[in-house]
Amino acid sequence: MELDEFKAAVDVWLDAQAEELACTFEGIGTLDQQMAQLRKVMQLTYDAGFMRMGWPERVGGLGGSNLLRAYLGEVLTARDLVEPGFYSMPEVLAPTMIDYAPDALAAEMVPRLLRGEEIWCQGFSEPGTGSNLASLSCRATRDGDAWRLNGQKVWTSLAQYAQRCVLLARTGTTESAHKGITALFIDMDSAGITVRPIETMNGAQEFSEVFFDDVVVPLDRVLGEVNHGWSIAMDLLPHERSTALWHRAAYLQRRLEQLVATAPAGSLDPVAVGEATELLWSLRARSRATQRRLAAGETLGAETSIDKVLVATAEQAIFDLVADGLGTDVVLGDDPVSQRWRAEFLYSRAATIYGGSAEIQRNIIARRLLDLGADR
Amino acid sequence: MEATERALFEGGVRRATEATDAGALDSALDDIGWRDALAADRPTAVSVLFESQGAMTTTSAALDWLLASALVGASDASAGGTSGGGAVVLPPLRRCDAPGRLDGDWCVVEGLGTAALDRCDTALVAAQTPDGAVTFAVELGLLTRRPVLGIDPALGLFEVMGEFETGWAAQPKSADWPAAAALGQLALSHELVGAGRTMLELARTHALERMQFGRSIGSFQAVRHRLAESLIALEAAAALLDAAWEDPSPRSAAMAKAFAGRSARTVARHSQQVLAGIGFTTEHPLHRSVRRALVLDQLLGAGTVLTRTLGADVLSSGTLPAAFPL
Repeated sequence: MELDEFKAAVDVWLDAQAEELACTFEGIGTLDQQMAQLRKVMQLTYDAGFMRMGWPERVGGLGGSNLLRAYLGEVLTARDLVEPGFYSMPEVLAPTMIDYAPDALAAEMVPRLLRGEEIWCQGFSEPGTGSNLASLSCRATRDGDAWRLNGQKVWTSLAQYAQRCVLLARTGTTESAHKGITALFIDMDSAGITVRPIETMNGAQEFSEVFFDDVVVPLDRVLGEVNHGWSIAMDLLPHERSTALWHRAAYLQRRLEQLVATAPAGSLDPVAVGEATELLWSLRARSRATQRRLAAGETLGAETSIDKVLVATAEQAIFDLVADGLGTDVVLGDDPVSQRWRAEFLYSRAATIYGGSAEIQRNIIARRLLDLGADR
Repeated sequence: MEATERALFEGGVRRATEATDAGALDSALDDIGWRDALAADRPTAVSVLFESQGAMTTTSAALDWLLASALVGASDASAGGTSGGGAVVLPPLRRCDAPGRLDGDWCVVEGLGTAALDRCDTALVAAQTPDGAVTFAVELGLLTRRPVLGIDPALGLFEVMGEFETGWAAQPKSADWPAAAALGQLALSHELVGAGRTMLELARTHALERMQFGRSIGSFQAVRHRLAESLIALEAAAALLDAAWEDPSPRSAAMAKAFAGRSARTVARHSQQVLAGIGFTTEHPLHRSVRRALVLDQLLGAGTVLTRTLGADVLSSGTLPAAFPL
C-alpha cells in the first residue's frame, strides 16, 4: 500500500472510530490509565490492519514501507490517542527481534507486542552503567542447558507492566568490555525477578529497578550470537532515534499548538516562539529525511545522534515556553489540564538525559561524524 | 538531475567558484550552463552553486539572475544585461519587502545592489502596489549607486538610491515579489550553510593539528562539543532548507533563512573560539567567512526580524505554520 493511500485509509478509520479510540480520562491520567489506553488503541489498530503495515510478514506484519509506521504513530500522537514514548517502544524493540531473534521466536513474540497484548522493556542501564554502557556487569553464566542471570538493571521503562525484556548481560570477563556482552530475551515472570518502581519528579512510576537473582534463561533466548550483544545494542540505538522521534515531533507540535492557542496575550516573547517553531520544523525536516533514508534501505547509524539532540533541544525549548506562557497553570494549577502541563514540563527536563545523554550524543557526533579521533 | 549528471554539475560548479573574482565566476558559470541548469532543475542548481559560493566566500550575479528570472521570466531577464544577466535591486539590509515605492508617476527606490550592478546598464526594480508588485527595467543612470565597504568589502555591495518617472522605465510587468524574494532567501540560506561548513572545517582541522598539554586540542571534550554543536546546527539548517524546496512559500523560505543565519552565526562563534588567536587574525581565512555570514544573515530579511515576524504571526493567529507532510 502506498503512503498516500494509507494516510487516507487511516484518517477515515480514525474519524469513524473516534469515540471508541478516545481517551477515557482527563489530563495526563495515571500510568495504569495510560497503559490501558495504549493497549486499547494498539489492539484496535492491529485488528483493523493498520498496526501491521510496515512490518514484515514473517512477524505477523502486512509488509510495506516504514513510512506507514511513521505516519500511524504521528497521527495517533497528533490526535492525542497515545503517549508517544510508550507507543514507540515497538519501534525500538521489534526491529531488534526481527534482525536477531531466532525466526520462530520472532514470529511468536512480535505480534503480541504489536497488538498491545504484551508490553516489553529494555534492560540496558545499570546502577554503575549509565553513559558507559559497555561497562555493564549484570552477569549471565552458562549452567548446563541454560543461562543463569544475576545482577541489576535500572531506569527500565514500564518494567512493572512488561511481559518480556530485551536485556544486555555480561557473558565475558569484566575486562572484556564491549566484546563480552550478550543480548537476551527474558520472560519477566521468571522466578528470581524483582521489580521496584521509582517515582520520578513528574509524578509517575515510569522507571524501575529490576533485580535478577539466579534467573534461568533458556539457551534459545539469545539474540544474535553469544558475546556479540554490543553490535545488537549499536543497531538498536539508531532505531531509538528514528521513527520514535518522528512520533515525538508530532507530540511536540500538538503541545506547541495548544500552548500558542491558550497562552494569555502578552505572556510569550515572539522571538522565543519563532525560534521554537523553527527548531521544531528543523527537527521534523531532519527526522523526515531519516525516515526516507530508512525507507530507501539505508542502514541508520551515528548520524541519528543529530536527530536525538534536535528532539531534546526542541522539547526543552517548547516546555520552557510553556513555563513562561502558562506559568500559573504549571506552578499552581491543580486541575487535570494544568497537572498535565506541569507533568510534561517536568518530564521535558529529562529529554537531555534519557536514551543517551546530550553529552554522549555530542561525543558520538565528534567521534563518528567529525572524525576527531579518540577523546583521550 | 540524476546522480552522474549531478556529480558532473557539482564538480563544474566547484571549479567555477574557485575563481575569486565575481566577473570571472559569472563567465565560468556561463561556460558550464548554470542558467540552463537553473531552468531545468532549480533546487539543484541553486543549492549546489550557492552552497559552493558560500563555502569559497566568493560571489556572482547568480542571485540577481535568480530574482530576475522569477520576476520577469528568463527571456526578459536575459534581455536586460551583460553576461551575468540583468541586475536586480535588493531591499535595504534587514528587510525583504520590495525596494521600490510608487508615488504618483514616480518610483522611489531605496535598496542594495550586488557586484553585478557594476557590470550592467539596467537594473530591475520591483515596487509594491496595492494590487501586487510591478517590476521596472530602469537605466542605471537614473539611480545613484555608492559602493558599500562595511564589514565585508569583498562582497562588493552597492547602496542604491533615487527616484525615476515610471514613464521613463521600460513597460512595467506585474511580478510576484514575495515568491521571488523567497527564492532569493533559499539561495542565501544555502550560501550561509556553505559558509558554515567552511568555518567548521577550518576549526576541525585546527583542533586536530593544534597540540597543547601533549595532545591535540580536538581530544578535549569542551572543544569537541563546540564542533559537534556546529555540525548539529548546520545539518538541521540543511534539512529545513531541503524541506522548504518542496514548498518554497514565503513562510517556509523565511524560516529556512532565519534558521540558516542563526546556525551560521552559531558555527562562527564556536569556530572562532576553537581557532582562538590564529582565527582572530587576517592571516587565517576564518575572518572572511565570519564577515560573509554576518552580511548574508541580514540580506533579504535579517534572521532575527524573520523569526520575530514568524513568532508574532503564530501568536496573533494562535496557529503554527503548515507542517510539511511525511
